[in-house]
Amino acid sequence: MDPSAAGKTFPPYEVRIERGKIKEFADAIGDPNPVYRDPDSPAAKAAGGILAPPTLLRTFLYETRDAVEALKVADWSYIVHGEQEFEYHKPIYAGDVLTGQDRIVSITEKESRRAGKLQIAVIESTFHNQRGEKVQVARRTLIETGKRIED
Amino acid sequence: MGQSPSFDSVNVGDAPPPLVCGPVTRTDFVRYAGASHDFNPNHHDEVYAREHGNKSVFGMGMLAGGYCARLLTDWLGDGALRRLRIRFASRFWPGDVLTCTARVTKKTEEVGGGLVECEFTSVNQSGEVIVRGDATAFLPRR
Repeated sequence: MDPSAAGKTFPPYEVRIERGKIKEFADAIGDPNPVYRDPDSPAAKAAGGILAPPTLLRTFLYETRDAVEALKVADWSYIVHGEQEFEYHKPIYAGDVLTGQDRIVSITEKESRRAGKLQIAVIESTFHNQRGEKVQVARRTLIETGKRIED
Repeated sequence: MGQSPSFDSVNVGDAPPPLVCGPVTRTDFVRYAGASHDFNPNHHDEVYAREHGNKSVFGMGMLAGGYCARLLTDWLGDGALRRLRIRFASRFWPGDVLTCTARVTKKTEEVGGGLVECEFTSVNQSGEVIVRGDATAFLPRR
């Protein structure tokens, strides 16, 4: 990875939160909660609408490849997704139109006995809704290992 | 699912009933690939996965993370989470049964309620940790 990419910010992109996508995602994680499906359910009425599940925005983290391409990874088979974090500022509802923007927070190095020299990149994606409110921040940690990790 | 428990009714050490998912299937991986746009062929293309040194396709870490998120929202209520961190420990395979558990580690009072911190894991049928993580939720006083 290219350490000079740290600190870079990338152009914003649009993410439409569609009701069908929310249901599809909830189905895929086996979650039958009506808050992800039925606007007339007591759960959705209490929540103020059909909610996005907590990990839904994972779906849109690869919408733009700008940030990952800026890392200039030589061989993706040496890359491990180490960690994924979400900060929830406001609810996201079906029908919301979000604007996402990615930033490479840091690229650091670490020595590992099992995997050789590690480079650790943190990419932060910040999402605002159509009212300009910050709704969520997603942070993914990508680790480039010095050698392939065998099981 | 639904409403949050009150902040006062939750104590450090409390744990929800475990959520058992699986045995997971290749179809589960394909469904999650479509839903999450994760088209890494190691998760759906058996030929590719074997050619790249894997015994078969394997599940996405975020699928196991999604199971854990469901455990947390079923327990702490819709929209209660303020933060969720998922750390990927091991891979899981078709036929595995994942058991997700969580536990309250800390409580902090706030106006109108408080923050509850918890840690969670998803383990396979051999007890091997697949994902682990921690989360913070706001619960109302009521």
